[in-house]
Amino acid sequence: MATVEVRDLRKRYQDFLALDGVSLKAESGQLVTLLGPSGCGKSTTLRCLAGFLEANGGDITVDGESILSTPANRRGFGVVFQNYALFPHMTVAENIGYGLKLQKLPKSEIETRVKDVMQLVRLGGLGDRLPREISGGQQQRVALARALVLKPKLLLLDEPLANLDARLRDEVRWLIRDLQQQSGITAFYVTHDQSEAMAMSDMVAVMKQGRVAQFATPREIYQKPVERYVADFTGEANFIACSSVMSVGEARYAVTAAGASLEVAGVPEITGSAELLLRPEALELTAPAAGTFQGTVTKSAFLGAALHCEIALADGSILKLTAEPNHQVETGEEVGIAIDHSHTWLMPEVAP
Amino acid sequence: MSLRNPKLFLAIPAIALIFVFMILPITNMVDMSFRTPGQSDPFGDDYTTMHYDRIVGDAYYWGVLLRSLLTAGAVTLLCLLVSYPIAWHMSKAKGMKAVFLYACIASPLMTGVLVRNFGWMIAAALNGPLNEFLLGLGIIQQPLRLLFTQGLVILALVHVFVPFMVLPINNALRNISPTLIEASTSMGATRRQVFRDIILPLSFPGIYPGMILVYVLAVAAYVTPALLGGQMVSYMPTLIIGELTGTFQWPFGSALAIVLSVSTILVVGLFTALTARLMERSKA
Repeated sequence: MATVEVRDLRKRYQDFLALDGVSLKAESGQLVTLLGPSGCGKSTTLRCLAGFLEANGGDITVDGESILSTPANRRGFGVVFQNYALFPHMTVAENIGYGLKLQKLPKSEIETRVKDVMQLVRLGGLGDRLPREISGGQQQRVALARALVLKPKLLLLDEPLANLDARLRDEVRWLIRDLQQQSGITAFYVTHDQSEAMAMSDMVAVMKQGRVAQFATPREIYQKPVERYVADFTGEANFIACSSVMSVGEARYAVTAAGASLEVAGVPEITGSAELLLRPEALELTAPAAGTFQGTVTKSAFLGAALHCEIALADGSILKLTAEPNHQVETGEEVGIAIDHSHTWLMPEVAP
Repeated sequence: MSLRNPKLFLAIPAIALIFVFMILPITNMVDMSFRTPGQSDPFGDDYTTMHYDRIVGDAYYWGVLLRSLLTAGAVTLLCLLVSYPIAWHMSKAKGMKAVFLYACIASPLMTGVLVRNFGWMIAAALNGPLNEFLLGLGIIQQPLRLLFTQGLVILALVHVFVPFMVLPINNALRNISPTLIEASTSMGATRRQVFRDIILPLSFPGIYPGMILVYVLAVAAYVTPALLGGQMVSYMPTLIIGELTGTFQWPFGSALAIVLSVSTILVVGLFTALTARLMERSKA
């Protein structure tokens, strides 16, 4: 139960700038995801939070107090690692109880608390096993229990699901989210998986080259990204370059895109060139000449729950589109495309 | 298992080698240790347990055996103390630095055993560089008698056996994932606690072979105690060689050798039994 603020955090390795002014804030009880490709600085940020790395500049505060001078072993944060980092020579119960033992708590109390937390993460009966004798999913739950049993002020999770198969990933994901919400622990969660980030987080920080490209709710990140990089990273997206961008109100613009004149919402105060974001599910197939755009179907794939098409417009741009599965489309067919205007979004063109 | 089994087939050279150069000689030596002493030959025709009776009944041999086992124990422990920090630094080194460190560590093995021990004799002489160094620093007023002491034997053995301890420990330390250290730190462990609870137990798969190797080599060391230990104190190997090549008492010498081997096996076995649980848990 702590408010955590990261302010202008910088980290340099010789000639590589890993963190170039990262600022974030987690309100008490929030789960904040750091999302981005490898090398974007998300793990570095987490390791600075944990105290495993020393920042070169900026500050990290917990409830208003800087923790940068506190060594990692006195921060009282729980850390869950991608490779679980269970102590191979200790049993499951010893792993979970290790932190309590360091606090010199009485044996009986350690036993009770270990037992309780094992119940919580559904590890009952596995206390005497060694880590190598249990499955990957169980190992990850031990890692989680080991962090939670210490009642940490802050929970730091570094790609905790990356080594699990898809089915387990779903299960453990919900377990993490449930436990985090029940206990009200503030948490930072590092991942490169956008669906994981969207599903679990209160806030998402999309990171790009050591900076936070956008820090907002999952909905905003998806629907109102500040630049193409963010839109690309959070899901399937079409981008259409716009000519003649004119401001027609607060964060509203009149644009010409692929031959059509549209009035759309977008990032405030766009001045230079801009591109239009159209998510595949915001587009709908119509009869030729009926929609906003006209084009030719170049690909179509039936995926069961939906039909994925690619449509080439007259100006050569390609639109990906998710249609209702029973729609019949043939490659080479002329179609019209209607736009759900509430899902269009204009962004300034920024260097990727 | 039949000869068509390729694994067994490939093992034939090794089995042959072990049979000819280990099983046969040991069998021969056990046999020899029960022979009666010879009059004009090194051994007689009849069988007896008199050599073992003599060793067991004579406190002198117990003393020498104990000295050998304890000296080897001291060498092993000192070796461990010296080697662990070296292994630690080596496990952190990368690239050319690691190669350089490996070369340094292996250097005592690159010198012949006689040359190395004569080196120690010169270094430890009354007017040798070690004494001059200590006198020069003002730590001592009179030159110390270093040569022909048990301490020098131990020092020289530690020197040459350090590589056998460093290399396996270095290997084990390299296998410890750094995230384990971070994990324990995040759970509140101080550096000392991380070392005690995580690093030390997890490096045991390297400590164990290092200790066994050094102990066995130290118990059996002959040249170093013979040259640096002087005539005042005896160790089992010097005693055995004396019986075999000095007085030509092959049966008695063999009995001493068997006693030493069995004692060493008992010590190693006891150590293995005491650390079995730790080994079972800490192996990768």
